[in-house]
Amino acid sequence: MKDEKKNGRFPQYYKTGVIILALFLLYAYGLQVTKVNLEEPLEPQRQENLVSLIRSFARPDIFAYETETRRTAVSLRMPCPETIRGSQVSIEGRQLLMVPNCATTTQDPITITGSGFLPNAEILVAWTPLGSTSTRRLADFKASDTGDVSITFTMPDIRPSEEPQAIELVEVVDRNIVGLSDTTYEALDKIVETVLMALMASTIGTLLSIPLSFIAARNLMQNVKAPMTGIMSGIILLPVLGGGAFWIGQQLVRPILSLDGTFLPALQTSLEALGFVGNFIFVLIELAFLLLPLTLGGLGAFVATSIGSRFGQQVTMRAPATTVRILTFVTTLVGTAVLFILLALALVWVNVLGIREFVPEGGWAQLGLFLWPGLVLGLIAALLTLRAPAKHHYPIGLVIYNATRTIFNAVRSIEPLMMGFVFVVWVGLGPFAGIMALTLHSMADLGKLFSEEVENIDEGPVEAITATGANQLQRIVYAVVPQVTPSYIAYIFYRWDINVRMSTIIGFVGGGGIGFVLQRNINQILYTRASVMVIAIAIVVIVLDNISARVRSRII
Amino acid sequence: MLKIQNLTKVYEDGTVALKDVSFEVPDGEFVAVIGLSGSGKSTLLRCINRLIEPTSGQIWWNGIELSEVSGEELRRARRQIGMIFQHFNLVNRSSVLTNVLSGRLGYTNPLASILGRFPEADIKRAHASLARVGIDDKADNRADELSGGQRQRVGIARALMQEPKMILADEPVASLDPALAHSIMRHLQQINKEDKITVLCSLHFLDLVQQYSTRAIALNQGKLVFDGTPKEINDEKFIEIYGREAERIG
Ligand SMILES: Nc1ncnc2c1ncn2[C@@H]1O[C@H](COP(=O)(O)OP(=O)(O)OP(=O)(O)O)[C@@H](O)[C@H]1O
Ligand SMILES: [Mg+2]
Repeated sequence: MKDEKKNGRFPQYYKTGVIILALFLLYAYGLQVTKVNLEEPLEPQRQENLVSLIRSFARPDIFAYETETRRTAVSLRMPCPETIRGSQVSIEGRQLLMVPNCATTTQDPITITGSGFLPNAEILVAWTPLGSTSTRRLADFKASDTGDVSITFTMPDIRPSEEPQAIELVEVVDRNIVGLSDTTYEALDKIVETVLMALMASTIGTLLSIPLSFIAARNLMQNVKAPMTGIMSGIILLPVLGGGAFWIGQQLVRPILSLDGTFLPALQTSLEALGFVGNFIFVLIELAFLLLPLTLGGLGAFVATSIGSRFGQQVTMRAPATTVRILTFVTTLVGTAVLFILLALALVWVNVLGIREFVPEGGWAQLGLFLWPGLVLGLIAALLTLRAPAKHHYPIGLVIYNATRTIFNAVRSIEPLMMGFVFVVWVGLGPFAGIMALTLHSMADLGKLFSEEVENIDEGPVEAITATGANQLQRIVYAVVPQVTPSYIAYIFYRWDINVRMSTIIGFVGGGGIGFVLQRNINQILYTRASVMVIAIAIVVIVLDNISARVRSRII
Repeated sequence: MLKIQNLTKVYEDGTVALKDVSFEVPDGEFVAVIGLSGSGKSTLLRCINRLIEPTSGQIWWNGIELSEVSGEELRRARRQIGMIFQHFNLVNRSSVLTNVLSGRLGYTNPLASILGRFPEADIKRAHASLARVGIDDKADNRADELSGGQRQRVGIARALMQEPKMILADEPVASLDPALAHSIMRHLQQINKEDKITVLCSLHFLDLVQQYSTRAIALNQGKLVFDGTPKEINDEKFIEIYGREAERIG
């Protein structure tokens, strides 16, 4: 009834008309904003530019040539004597006539005509100024089908002399490919770098994303619940154990990594004997040292949360309700305060909205500032726990799930090219920055795709494995992994394809690989070289597409 | 001894699947759980091993309050309760042997099992379990290469690996033809008699109930409406359990 009335008042065609009008206005405005201009591309100068670009790209600088040439010289006077004449030469069946045979200004046109050259020969008009060693190129052209030549040029500058000077027609008699050009070698070098960048980023990104994908899967996380005492004890222990372990790690590696330390340089020199394998081992060892504080910190955090949750579980199960209530109250108060203070310190460190201006310097002073607000917040949270039953289990799994998902989505939405820019600022120009950008993006992208696969599995086996008394990790390995393996493999190949493509252009922001060279060539208007890079990229992408399609069809 | 007191389950959407259900099962019984579709049979069985969280009420089993334990203790309790499913719930892409071995996960060293390593004794036990249900020759096949009846036997072998004191079977024969149904039921009966394992088994056909169970409990819209021997299900009780429109065929 209601709908009928509505349709009566706003007939369908009226609505359609409004929509069409709105779209019309939208596109009209879009045209203006995007500066679509149909005359510009048709201007002769623009068209000439385009043609020269296309022709340069069509002549990639792939090979190195050795040319065999034949020279025909004719003499020129500068400046012109009183009587102006032509010069005539005849050598080995080649006739040349240059009119006039002199130049006084750079505007004077000089015309050479002749015959007896090789049909269609490439000819360069060259001038070696008297007393100079370098040859200057005046013009180049081609002989006709019948070997006739005709060219008009002007002198680029006037070098007066008593003697006549030689103008030479350098004719290409033969051209031999003697190998690949330097450009091609550079392209090969860089394309290997590019492919390896993609390989490293795909591998590390995949390794990181697999464990994260299980945390980001709703069906695995929604049943992870814990009593508030457990959650809060974990949070309280987190800075103590996690931070402590991180600090210990730093103390351990400091003497090894310090600048005047001799251990690493000595190790590097001794490993250098093994070439790139030695370098690889060295980088791995260095990485292990660099990551030691982080690893220990992570381990400490893991221990903190597991001790916390175990403690919470035991207490909640065994202790009487009042004890549980009191413990929940106290841990929530302290835990919320700790969480608040940690977050506040982090925000101050990042200097969100210029907050550093308003807080005192130094960690302890800042801690003092945030202590009371933290405790007040903690008290509010603790009072809120009284509303729930004493032994209530809170869905901490869903909180972790949502946090991970949000991070994945945020990171995925940033283009790797922009991340590359950030990493170039941090670690400097070169492939390392590119690898880091692609790794981060791959991790988030695969993490999201993987976790969606996990959410789509058949829950039956998970239920069955749970019923055998398996723990979460066993459940994942025995019930989830077998179900998601084929699609994980498909996604890894899909991502590898993307990473190869991305790594070819991440160099545009300084991230290394062939894109770096390509951009340089384009900026220097070396289009015949840029063309080689583009061809190399195309070949690699096509070949790897094919290989991955083949491997994929074999595995799945 | 399993003792269920005032068990109630209300799903998040407000559906009351179990309403104040209480009963006891002495060790060694073969209890059939009957009732119309949607009456709460699956919910009841899953509440016992806590695949579903009960809303209120207690579940006691051999001195443990199953409805209260969590974490490690819950896993310890679960590993002594085998479960068999209507749709078998095997991991299709894994081998039959791996499926059976996974019944052992509650006992093995977690780290070793994650790396796929099981003690020699468990592997022997797995073959013995498969032999007991008559399909040891299929140990190396992938689970999805088996027929329905064979898959359910793998399900039973997996449950046997747990050395269970009780088996929960949720309509174990509902997706099988009558001949296979009897063979699976006989396996369950044999396990119940020889190993003294308590069996709680939801069933749709009264003839199966009469033939295999020592006792029956019935649910109707989440309420316990019958508790007694299968022979006691007379026409009057039948209407109470299945409603007036149902027609007795068993
Ligand atoms: N996850 C769920 N969320 C909400 N309601 C549910 C859920 N699972 C089951 N129910 C409802 O609870 C009631 C009992 O369902 P249950 O699966 O236990 O019945 P059943 O006796 O096993 O039925 P069947 O014989 O068809 O298997 C039904 O009304 C069902 O719709
Ligand atoms: Mg059911």
